[in-house]
Amino acid sequence: MSNVVDVLLSGVFAASILFLVAAGLQVVFGVLKIFNLACGSFYALGAYVGVSAVNWSLAAGLPRPLFVLALVGGGLALAFVGPIVERLLRTVYDRDEAFQLLLTFAVVLMLEDVTQLVWGTAPYSTGALYLSYGQALILGSTVPVYNLLVIGASVLIAVGLGLVLTRTRWGRIVRATADNREMAEALGVNMRRVYVQVFTLGTVLGTLGGALVIPSTTAISEMGIELIVQAFAVVVIGGLGSMRGALVGALIVGVLRAVAIATRPEVEMLLIYLIVIGVLVVRPRGLFGGAAA
Amino acid sequence: MLTLRDVDVSIQASEILRRVSLEVGEREVVCLVGRNGAGKTTTLRAIMGYLRLRAGTIEFLGRNLAGLPTHQIANLGIGYAPEGSAIFPDLTVGENVEISTWTRPGGRPAPERVDLAYATFPVLRTYARRKGTQMSGGERKMLSIARALALDPRMLLLDEPFEGLSPAIIPAVSRGIATITEAGHAILMAESNIHHVPEIATRLYVIERGEIIFAGRPADVRRDPAVLRIIGG
Repeated sequence: MSNVVDVLLSGVFAASILFLVAAGLQVVFGVLKIFNLACGSFYALGAYVGVSAVNWSLAAGLPRPLFVLALVGGGLALAFVGPIVERLLRTVYDRDEAFQLLLTFAVVLMLEDVTQLVWGTAPYSTGALYLSYGQALILGSTVPVYNLLVIGASVLIAVGLGLVLTRTRWGRIVRATADNREMAEALGVNMRRVYVQVFTLGTVLGTLGGALVIPSTTAISEMGIELIVQAFAVVVIGGLGSMRGALVGALIVGVLRAVAIATRPEVEMLLIYLIVIGVLVVRPRGLFGGAAA
Repeated sequence: MLTLRDVDVSIQASEILRRVSLEVGEREVVCLVGRNGAGKTTTLRAIMGYLRLRAGTIEFLGRNLAGLPTHQIANLGIGYAPEGSAIFPDLTVGENVEISTWTRPGGRPAPERVDLAYATFPVLRTYARRKGTQMSGGERKMLSIARALALDPRMLLLDEPFEGLSPAIIPAVSRGIATITEAGHAILMAESNIHHVPEIATRLYVIERGEIIFAGRPADVRRDPAVLRIIGG
């Protein structure tokens, strides 16, 4: 029993991180119609900056239990990367999808080199810091409280994102632009500005995901590409452009991976991509495909 | 108010508009009549800034529109209701109407603009909370025009406002358009059917294969057999 709870909780933890990155991918695709592979690099960047932010602020005298603030601050501070990459992508909005994919993949490779240049190639971690919140006993299984906090934060972000997109004027403008860009412009929507804002939102979701995951793992330069492979599975299962799809897809991929790692680690990706193929055959648009945002 | 002078537009190297010139004055209702594919929609899309001009100029209220992004053209006061209505299905009817009051604040207060839009097509008010997808084709046309009106425009571009409407709903749309002109807006309307040209039309242009082949009063075109043959009078 405690084993099952262990696996489930670690799956949900992975899913909550995966959801953040996939949500960024979805909101950018929904509005800009670009499949942004660089979401994985934003995640990696968030992880590295997260470790550095924690190390600096602890050295500067931040009390250990407040390290989460340094992580969130580091993740949010990376928002400035969004407008820069968006400016680069602006050159291919009207081009073929192949060009867009190539360019976002180029960004992935460049950002991977940037992280190696700045942080080196050795793994990088915050040590056992995340245990400073202690462990909780849930149904006979012990989990780090930090993991529960991250799951809670991700749920809050999901709810907040949903509210912003459905209940605010900005969210309605974003959904209108996602649905019909030309018509939105004819009603006075400054498309350039909406694109930058949405892309920056997507960027921050990725960097926050990376910053929040890092206490429980180690930053390595390939982590961005590894995550893209998973996020890709999430959006294909959930449906491209759909927020609910990102949520359900992340849960499916996160929990299944945890189950596979606990039972047959060698078939982890095989299992997930079998499901991806299954979804593509039965429901090519994904579980929630067709929704605008 | 709006002046097109010798406008040429090409889409993927094929010439769609050739030396199109037309004019819409204050409070005028101008109809651009032509068969499908004649260049009516392209003309309206060129005015909205979706298409680049190869030659010629478009002026609105004395300003050259060339090179302006679409949202700035809208902000100058041109409301656009496209052929397919282009309702945002994900938003409610009320949100569809209100969106331009958020993107273009200033001018008349938002509630007044929304009220005017609903007053033009009163039936829409009862649907305000419905999603855009739950509307019939005729209701979408009305919503599309009402939405353009809420922008508080000086001029409206209507692309085939009567296309595909059931005869039962045509009078409601006609009444709405009449209300719009009474409120002092100018209208440039594209139509493929000469019989849909409203009586309040002050000027009429006939377009064929991207060229203006007739410009004058509606009464005169009805006496021109060569033009009537083309637009199926």
